Amino acid sequence: MSSWADTVSSAPPPATTASDRGAISARGLRRTFGDTVAVDTLDLDVPTGAVFGLLGPDGAGKSTLIRMLATVLVPTAGEASVFGHSVTTERDAVTPRIGYMSQRFSMYPDLSVAENLEFFATIRGVGRADRRTRSQALLASMGLDEFTRRQAQHLSGGMKQKLMLATTLMHEPDLLLLDEPTTGVDPVSRREFWRILAGLHRAGKTVLVATPYMDEAERCTHIAFLDGGRIKQSGTPESIKALVPGRLLEVSATDPRAALAVVRTLPGVASVHLLGDVVRVLWEAPSEPVGPLTSALVAAGLHGVGVREISPDMETVFAFLAEADAPPGAGSEVAS
Amino acid sequence: MSAKRVRLLIWKEFTQLRRDPLLIRLLLLMPVLQLIMFGYVVAVDVRNLSTAVVDLDQTVASRQLQAAFSGSGYFTITRTPASEADLQPLLDSGTIKVALVIPQGTQDRLGRGETAPIGIIVDGSDSQISAIGSGYASQIIAQFNTDRRTSSGAQLDAPGIDARVRVMFNPTLDPINTMIPGLIAAIMMISLMVIMSQAVVKERESGTLEQMFVTPIKATEYLIGKLTPYAALATAQMALVALGGLYWFKVPFNGSFWVVLVGLLLFMFTCLGLGLLISLVSRTRHQAQQAVMFLMIPTMVLSGFIFPIQSMPPAIQPLTNLIPLTFALEVLRGAFVKGSGFEALAVPMLALAGFGVVIFGASIIATRRRIAE
Repeated sequence: MSSWADTVSSAPPPATTASDRGAISARGLRRTFGDTVAVDTLDLDVPTGAVFGLLGPDGAGKSTLIRMLATVLVPTAGEASVFGHSVTTERDAVTPRIGYMSQRFSMYPDLSVAENLEFFATIRGVGRADRRTRSQALLASMGLDEFTRRQAQHLSGGMKQKLMLATTLMHEPDLLLLDEPTTGVDPVSRREFWRILAGLHRAGKTVLVATPYMDEAERCTHIAFLDGGRIKQSGTPESIKALVPGRLLEVSATDPRAALAVVRTLPGVASVHLLGDVVRVLWEAPSEPVGPLTSALVAAGLHGVGVREISPDMETVFAFLAEADAPPGAGSEVAS
Repeated sequence: MSAKRVRLLIWKEFTQLRRDPLLIRLLLLMPVLQLIMFGYVVAVDVRNLSTAVVDLDQTVASRQLQAAFSGSGYFTITRTPASEADLQPLLDSGTIKVALVIPQGTQDRLGRGETAPIGIIVDGSDSQISAIGSGYASQIIAQFNTDRRTSSGAQLDAPGIDARVRVMFNPTLDPINTMIPGLIAAIMMISLMVIMSQAVVKERESGTLEQMFVTPIKATEYLIGKLTPYAALATAQMALVALGGLYWFKVPFNGSFWVVLVGLLLFMFTCLGLGLLISLVSRTRHQAQQAVMFLMIPTMVLSGFIFPIQSMPPAIQPLTNLIPLTFALEVLRGAFVKGSGFEALAVPMLALAGFGVVIFGASIIATRRRIAE
């Protein structure tokens, strides 16, 4: 199991340093729970300084992957390294450089905000002076400084997440492994949380963040879409968007279901689906789409017809990619 | 091993304990409550039993016998009816618990060197009174016979008064004197099992156990940090019971402090290990509680804490050897009551050491495995 790690660490190829291999490198990583395969022989490379979004539905294997990288879970097969150190054989070299935030709230509920910070920082060997300055700075930047004496169990959902992040940052890790940090958090807190992550990114930290929210993918420098324990797509948000062939159109009409039925029959239309009260259309033909679509809909007797080209958001991109993956015709009602 | 990290963990456990006012109150109240329960209710001693004496002999010897009874403190002579027939209504109404009948000619028989039978009637409706009362009575009569022989210069095996009660009882073996030493061991077991079983499962439930894995903390440090506060707490509870027993209930302590200390220390490892094992296999705190209850009932019944092992059916008796508390009781009762030393208590000491090594060892291995997982 450790042969791969041994090879790289004992005989590094010339000009290949740990940072060149990136923050995270995983090869053939696999984890099963009984008969269930949570992560299925997966390769992953996260460059240093990236904000890497791990997207996918519940049960896709995001948490299992992150927990293996955080050295909390031992892989069934394969190997992963963090900054060139194996997560299985060199745990002691890995843990000081990572900050792991689990999906569940994992602070002591009956200790105060300040005590939790103090406890986890001290246990990680952060000195007294550093503990004081860092906790003051972190709590102030997260707006938690008024609540230092409050017990963690009495914090709101957003504040709990921020406390966990602050705790994770006290020993100044180079890599943050965040497992769905914004799940169950109100939109304002979510935005604020991402503002903090953006600051960490500017400070040069590497962030691996799992999220079920497609809109959060837009804020990442790199993304990977995980499903069934495998990476289905990965790249930059732009390169993922570029995977969608043709142009994306939004069609509105007083009766969107009738519009959908009409559009589906037209040549040049690759896929159609209903999103709320508009119809999303992927136009694959090289010709200009707005004119022909409008006239076809008007000719079919529909009222209030409007057609405009939109730039694809991540949600739509993955919906189309999933549809392309699925058997023909199965995904025409994909809507969220 | 970092002493700093261990200290931090201990601080954290104590801080959490302090924040749980109900738990800390329960832990302090429990020994006090148990002392009161076992000291006053279960181990009640029989004193000042109302006694009637029917003295048909009316001699020096019969009056000496009466004096021996009333001077013991266990019997208070409240009635002196003229005939045996008058006893029945007194017993029926509960006015007296014990009756002593000294037949006519008792002194003459004793003078002739014959056996002099006397009758002792005990109210059997209360089994404890009847057993203890008749036990004391036979003890007093045995003493009376010895005194009479020594003062009259008669042979030691000369016949004397023969009481028709045959229950053996040692009046110095007050039930509380065996109950309190047992309670010290039982309290440690209950307390450690109840809190330790919650210790790890609580961290699993709160997710902090996983967070702990990402820190440089070692399994050994974690264990020491977890076990120390609760061991200290259990020690405080035991001290409370021991002090209450020695100074309030005046339980005599005849043995060596070191025997008690070593015995309790060995037993503590067993208790810590059992609690830890339960905490590791349980998924939730509720499950852990049920597992503790499951273990506690056979322990209390089979260890001899409440029911004497000798009175259990022969088929059941070997099972008592599977209960660690059985041996802890043997050590503590032996040391307190009989003043037994290490040599006399070698077997239960070794048994406790064996249980400690196996159970505590298993819990350490299980913890390491769980943490490595």
